[in-house]
Amino acid sequence: METNYDAIVVGTGISGGWAAKELCEKGLKTLVLERGRMVKHVEDYPTMNDDPWDYKTGDVITQETLKTQKKQSRTGYTTTESSKHFFVDDIEHPYNETNRFDWMRGYHVGGRSLTWGRQSYRLTDFDFTANLKDGIAVDWPIRYKDLAPWYDYVEEYIGVSGENVGLSQFPDGNYLKPMELTCVEDHLKSDIKKNYKDRILTIGRTAIITEGSKPGLGRSTCQHRSRCRRGCPFGSYFSSNSSTLPAAEVTGNMTLRPNSLVHEIMYDADSKRATGVRVIDSETKEVHEFNAKVIFLCASTVPSTSILMQSKSDTFPNGMGNASDQLGRNIMDHHLGVGASAASDDFKDKYYTGRRNNGIYIPRFRNIGGETNQKDFTRGYGYQGGGGRSDWTKQIAEMAYGAAFKEASLKPGDWQIGLSGFGEILPYQDNKMTLDYNKLDKWGLPTVTFDATLKENELNMRKDMQQQAVEMLESAGFRDVKGHDRDYAIGLGIHEMGTARMGHDRKTSVLNENNQLHDVPNVYVTDGSAMTSAGNVNPSLTYMALTARAANHAVKELKKMNI
Amino acid sequence: MDRRKALKNIGNGIGAIAVTPAVVSLFQSCQTSATYNPLFIPKDDFKIISNLMEMIIPKTDIPGAVELKLPEFVDAYIDAVWDEEEKTDFTETWEVFISSSIKAAGKENENDLSAADWDAQLAKYLKPGNDLPADEILASKFVNQLRSLTVNAFKTNEFIGEEVLAYAPIPGEQKGCVDLMEATGGKAWSL
Repeated sequence: METNYDAIVVGTGISGGWAAKELCEKGLKTLVLERGRMVKHVEDYPTMNDDPWDYKTGDVITQETLKTQKKQSRTGYTTTESSKHFFVDDIEHPYNETNRFDWMRGYHVGGRSLTWGRQSYRLTDFDFTANLKDGIAVDWPIRYKDLAPWYDYVEEYIGVSGENVGLSQFPDGNYLKPMELTCVEDHLKSDIKKNYKDRILTIGRTAIITEGSKPGLGRSTCQHRSRCRRGCPFGSYFSSNSSTLPAAEVTGNMTLRPNSLVHEIMYDADSKRATGVRVIDSETKEVHEFNAKVIFLCASTVPSTSILMQSKSDTFPNGMGNASDQLGRNIMDHHLGVGASAASDDFKDKYYTGRRNNGIYIPRFRNIGGETNQKDFTRGYGYQGGGGRSDWTKQIAEMAYGAAFKEASLKPGDWQIGLSGFGEILPYQDNKMTLDYNKLDKWGLPTVTFDATLKENELNMRKDMQQQAVEMLESAGFRDVKGHDRDYAIGLGIHEMGTARMGHDRKTSVLNENNQLHDVPNVYVTDGSAMTSAGNVNPSLTYMALTARAANHAVKELKKMNI
Repeated sequence: MDRRKALKNIGNGIGAIAVTPAVVSLFQSCQTSATYNPLFIPKDDFKIISNLMEMIIPKTDIPGAVELKLPEFVDAYIDAVWDEEEKTDFTETWEVFISSSIKAAGKENENDLSAADWDAQLAKYLKPGNDLPADEILASKFVNQLRSLTVNAFKTNEFIGEEVLAYAPIPGEQKGCVDLMEATGGKAWSL
């Protein structure tokens, strides 16, 4: 068995797939290690064409599922019959909660690039300068201009649908044809334009092909079935399985090894370099060692951080690259579940065709200078949401039951519209993950303990998020406007990040401006753990851009023999 | 509710929504439903619940609850999806509904109630605007929940989803604001 490679990539999700593609395309013989099972594009999407009636009691979460996926089911939707197989068995993969933490993931080739929400937005200099301006945590060691060409690069490759709106806090990009707003959404958009000077409503930016095709295993135009999370037979949304892994494969430089649980990076104190990784075969428990000149840690925030913590040595008694003691700290997410909803009596003779897997988007309008600055909270939030006509409780009330009721239930219901905020969580030292060596998993590895809570800034922001949503819906003349602030615990945004942050100084951060460990320059970490602040936008596009940029750097450094 | 009020309501036409000859015959029939062995609903209660569901979604030119096997679906659904607390609540509210209905109809036993008796009960609890005494709140909760379950079963039914509602497994196009009649002839999408 070959054990020596030019590069090793740990993980095959959003970041890992990109690392594999970039490194392989640049000529590196690359070993790509995934702890979970193989999932082949299309072949391994068993539920991709199912209708609700293909399941005995519909596409729902069952009590049987809750026996093994109780924590994964906290989302209320990811573990229904059609997609539960892409989320972990909580019994096999336990974790500990000092405070409630919702850690949602699946372990398989493609990771969450198979099940992600596909919303794709760029960070801006409002985000990159925020910590510096607020005197919070540490400054990002990069700015928008460093990442902009890489956002261009990844957007072009994967295909993102959306529209340009020319706002500095919501940068323009290279978008495919935008999806269409429904009648009520369009009405809200017009009303916001008329009554608000500081904000706009646009269609969401989503990593879905809406015209033509993109490179990969046959990636073609979306058919609007809205069954993305199951894996798409048309390859319309971006996933590693349909896009970046095939690109890596076709170079002939990739060796993809599923069922390979990386638990430690090996370090040589003399050369001051990582030399490779230690692997446990997740099926057979056999152990292996693989060597490489450069390692890309893309196992997602928590596993990548765990691997670094587990990589102890005389040089690194506290975990590899952890001179700063920041490893595991500053865990962030986007807090959500707060907003408003309403109904409309208009547009009764209107409907829509196609099941749009995308919503509206209201970009950040708070704390971007001048009158937008708030005294109760710093940072910002955006809204997702949408309007359709699937609810018909009004018909129920009027018709009660019987033939007329049955007839009415075959018609579309009243229009409903909702706005749902995504808010930034600040980096707090004491919001953290640690390893518990007293509670080992079935591979003998320590389990993760989470201890993180929302604090004053987030709670104050949530009040504004609800209030603004209510006001916008009321202004547009909708009826029954109701605000909501639902049960949220950190992690439920499924954007956990920050536990191996980038920064200028090795005393206060784990990674430098190129995503290298300050102290081990041939280890790059490019997944969510790298994030110095959370921003308020969905982060996956940023992970792709950081990864492509870091891979470019790594190959140059290898050629210069710097690493 | 006393008998006089119940009769008064029927007279006002609030009842008699679903008392068709077909429904009457369901209640008069001595036959038990086929060979279905319920997973959750007690076997003795399954027939009455099936009949109530048929009154909620009766046979028209489209099959009704019984023909579509919605009672079997609802039974399996409760068994598979609900937790112990929800199941217990359902059983409790069902029992209150039964005793309430017997009392309202002035009868001795649930099997003695006529279609008109059951219809009066559904009307009382499902039509909006009826004030209910405190001891009938749970009965109302049962009926409202049964209606929701019935509708969910109806909309998750393959025949209804594919042949009756507007069915588009692969829509192809996405258009945000279109004429309802042009899009589906007035029907709701099933997916």
